[in-house]
Amino acid sequence: MIEKRSKKGIVRRLIPNVLKAILWGTITFLFVYYLPMLLYPMELLPLDYSQFFYLFVGITVFFAVVTKLFSGTILEHAFSMARALVMIIYFIAVFHGGIIRFTMPMEEAPVNLVADLTAILAILILVNLLGIAKSMLQVTEFLAKKTESSQLPEPQ
Amino acid sequence: MKPAIRALGIATIMIWIILIVFLVTALYSVMKLGIGFGEPQFFPSSTGVVLSLPFSLNNSGYYDISKLNITTSITDSNGTTLSTSDTFVPLVSKGSNVEAAHNITIELSDVMESIGLLFNDSFFMFDTFVSLNFAHLVPVQLSMNMTVPWGAPFHDLSVGEIQSNNDSIVVPLSFENHSFFDITGTIELEVYNDVNELVATGESSLDAPSQQPYEGQIDMPADISKLTESGRVHFIFVTPIFAVEQWVPYD
Repeated sequence: MIEKRSKKGIVRRLIPNVLKAILWGTITFLFVYYLPMLLYPMELLPLDYSQFFYLFVGITVFFAVVTKLFSGTILEHAFSMARALVMIIYFIAVFHGGIIRFTMPMEEAPVNLVADLTAILAILILVNLLGIAKSMLQVTEFLAKKTESSQLPEPQ
Repeated sequence: MKPAIRALGIATIMIWIILIVFLVTALYSVMKLGIGFGEPQFFPSSTGVVLSLPFSLNNSGYYDISKLNITTSITDSNGTTLSTSDTFVPLVSKGSNVEAAHNITIELSDVMESIGLLFNDSFFMFDTFVSLNFAHLVPVQLSMNMTVPWGAPFHDLSVGEIQSNNDSIVVPLSFENHSFFDITGTIELEVYNDVNELVATGESSLDAPSQQPYEGQIDMPADISKLTESGRVHFIFVTPIFAVEQWVPYD
């Protein structure tokens, strides 16, 4: 009887999280994949960069879903931190450490383009580091609340 | 704890918004950038020739383009640098249009040093390097290597069969002017026999239009007794731009 009740409780707690995860995953997908596709056709990107774009969509949607799925648990914050770390590595890889090189085929001769995006990369890393800091504070708060609630005297 | 988390959250959102707005507007600005090229023109200078490449930059985007620097380096087929030219535009403000010309000066004296370039067709390597600063934040560099064929002004210079009379000889001479400029001036020539004795000297005017074959016969007094079946002719070409000499065998 108790087992059935606890199962029901878990299911009741899970359903809103699953719904939130589906909704959040869909919104993220629309925002990071559908909207850029409408604004800028990906066929214009070089092959390497279109693959990086699909990887970006995959990472963002995956972490959006799992963080919402485990919302209200410590795993939510763990996944938030993991997302920020993965994004830092991703941006460093995509930006080739800040220096991007393209070769544009032209009629007369190929044109080599080098763009120094170190400043942009630094801002992207900074914003993700802020995300990690925020997640760490949230974990601390989460654990503090949990400890507080476990130390409260049980009502008679 | 909560205010700190909220502050970090707000800061993160604000940075993301600023970054996305910058990236979208920067991309839009690059797409709105109008680059135009005019007809390249050659101008003769006192020491050579100036190749002028007019260009225009219409910056109708949201960000300035600063420190635009165009460098062109010309090297011959052996890798020897013949010319290096720079054009610097300090600022192309947003909403402005800049028209300028990149002038490449080619000193003919440098070309003369590579004497083979006057008698044999070859090629030049044009290395163009463009650097600029976009939005005072993103340095961008463009580079392009181009091979440009070079037409020799005295390509395939050769001496035909020398015909002799009682006291004079006729030297038939031919070449093709593959260069982009007409050659006017004089030819001085000295004919030597197979034991290096001077047989005859002469001079003639020269007028070889660009991209045209030249054939001429130079009649000059000679000591016929010294003329042998083979030998060599010493040519000295004198034009308003350069003077060059060349030995050509005959037989």
